[in-house]
Amino acid sequence: MRIALAGNPNSGKTTLFNAITGKTEVVGNWPGVTIAKKEADLKKKYKVNQTDVRIVDLPGTYSISPFTGEEVITRDFILEENPDVIINIVDGANLSRSLFFTTQLLELGIPVVVALNKNDIVSKRGDVVDVDALSKELNCKIIPTTATSEQGLSNLINEVVKAGKSNTTQSKTNFEGKNDKSSDTARQKFVNEIIKKCQVKKTDSAKITFSDKIDRIVAHKWLGIPIFFVIMWGVFTFSIEGLGGYLSEYFNETVFGEILPNAANNFFDGLGISPLLKDLIVEGAIGGVGAVIGFLPLIMVLFFCLSLLEDSGYMARVALIMDRYFKKIGLSGKSIIPMIVGSGCAIPGVMATRTIEDINERRMTTILTPFVPCGAKLPIIALFTAVFFPNNAWVGPSMYVIAIAMIIIGGLLLKRIFKWENASSFIMELPEYKMPSFKYAFSQMMNKAKAFIYKASTIILVFNTLVWFLQAYSWGLNPVEDQSLSILASIGTVISPILIPLGFLGWQLAAAAITGFIAKENVVATFAVLLAAASEEALHLPGGVLTQFFTPVTAFAYLAFNLFTPPCFAAIGAMNSELGSKKWLMRALAFQFSVGYILAMLINQIGTIIVYGETAVGFIPAIIITLLTAVYLVITIKKRGSMPTEVGVEA
Amino acid sequence: MLLSKAKVGQTFSIKNVTGKEKVRKFLFTLGCSEGEEITLISKLAGNYIVNIKDGRYAIDEKMAKSIEV
Repeated sequence: MRIALAGNPNSGKTTLFNAITGKTEVVGNWPGVTIAKKEADLKKKYKVNQTDVRIVDLPGTYSISPFTGEEVITRDFILEENPDVIINIVDGANLSRSLFFTTQLLELGIPVVVALNKNDIVSKRGDVVDVDALSKELNCKIIPTTATSEQGLSNLINEVVKAGKSNTTQSKTNFEGKNDKSSDTARQKFVNEIIKKCQVKKTDSAKITFSDKIDRIVAHKWLGIPIFFVIMWGVFTFSIEGLGGYLSEYFNETVFGEILPNAANNFFDGLGISPLLKDLIVEGAIGGVGAVIGFLPLIMVLFFCLSLLEDSGYMARVALIMDRYFKKIGLSGKSIIPMIVGSGCAIPGVMATRTIEDINERRMTTILTPFVPCGAKLPIIALFTAVFFPNNAWVGPSMYVIAIAMIIIGGLLLKRIFKWENASSFIMELPEYKMPSFKYAFSQMMNKAKAFIYKASTIILVFNTLVWFLQAYSWGLNPVEDQSLSILASIGTVISPILIPLGFLGWQLAAAAITGFIAKENVVATFAVLLAAASEEALHLPGGVLTQFFTPVTAFAYLAFNLFTPPCFAAIGAMNSELGSKKWLMRALAFQFSVGYILAMLINQIGTIIVYGETAVGFIPAIIITLLTAVYLVITIKKRGSMPTEVGVEA
Repeated sequence: MLLSKAKVGQTFSIKNVTGKEKVRKFLFTLGCSEGEEITLISKLAGNYIVNIKDGRYAIDEKMAKSIEV
């Protein structure tokens, strides 16, 4: 039996889904958290007569006719995949709005059971809903539930399974008018009548609430942006420099720097296996993967903080305060949500762009979101700041400031290159604030930790072993004494010339950057493998072995290069599906690569002149590249200027 | 009068909603349509915070101008 969960945004579908399936899908207190269909089996605890039940969680929608991308998914599933029963989750605290969608669902010929959710909030407010009367009016079963504390859920599932087995559909309420408009009006009238009969409200929702008072501060004209920056700065410094950084240091130095390698060395020495195999395991696997896993605490702390933020209801407010500024660069206020989500991982970040209605704003957000440093890029930031800027706590967070600058500049450029005009209007529901759940944040953190370890022990381990092999063997598959004769060196040497204007001298740097496209953590792991021979010391010590390859200026440029060139392949895949056309994907990647390349080049060339008072290697090519780019931009923008504005057309 | 001209704290009955068909339809599903009530809660960061039915929404000035009360 297949059961679909449908209802308004932020009515608690995913909370209910998690409760009855035991999953830990991401929930959040803003409309549009769920952007894809999620499926899972019903938990044993809720099973009725051993019936196998599959639950499908769908993105929230206010109506069966979709407004944004994720709502299309819901409509398509309900209309085309014929679930056996629909559980319509109705936000009890906003009954009159929710019933509009309910009446539409009731007409589909699929049994519907209504879960009257957020029952706790309703009773706290002192509002009363006459469930029996409502059930009679709508002609379907209604079960009061509180998904957060799992109340009423077994009752709900019982009714749902019963409805699915008997397969009797409710008699239809029919609003088919001459046209859409009159049928919608009739529907709205019908709902209003029902509300009058079945609901007694104690509170006037139009009164100023505590949430409104908080909004007047956090979304204040002048205070809004500074408060947002202070919060984000707090989250990132706490993750990178604070608790996360502190724990990571311990992991890196003690656990993966001494304890594990020593133990492994002793163990394998005792076994007496071949030294080559020992090197593969100790230097390749433990060294490389360990260099990445050492940063696990940093990522856990980051996700814990982000979870709290998402659960509080603040995200919708950030969209509201950013709207005015983002419109100027061709984005929507809603674009900030993919970007904040993207600071954890770019893949859900890019996917979250489908909540943006306007196609141009959506495309731009998809192209710009990967500029936000994601969790996988954190190890690179942490490594480079620890080695080159141990006394400058600002360098880590400065990457986020540069990310914001790149988003603004990128937005302005894209808007001119493709001549887009904002034709959209902004509307966002502001849910009431709630105390974020520490328990939930903790479970999300553990989830992310598991996923991270899984990634490190699969994709990163595999590539790391490959990197180890490529740097230890020649094309003739003979082990090499000198790394520079290895396969990896010859690959890196081919690519490294184009990186000279950026100050990245040596095939190692090219090789590390390339492995970063598989997964950004690979950059750190690759360095760990490549430099293991050069030094016994742990990779991340201040003034460590990396200083043979970088000056602080080129290190900063290298950071920028890895952060602002295209993201990992998985994120590129997400971009591909959101952009929906290969042409736009190519444009996006070309744009991202140019931005990362030119930014790193400018940092290197200008930085070298300012800091060391001399021109860097590749100064002349750098000037040529800069001039060519400037000429290209001027010509393209001029050419576009004389063309009519494109508004929301497909490529 | 347009909602964009309204005073904070007042409740109005909606007379007309103009603008793009798609947006109008969307507003309709929220209960923002002729005859329904709308309250202007505050003006924040260039947006209008309104109460429609039991929900709070932030709408931009352009949309506020499309709602006649």
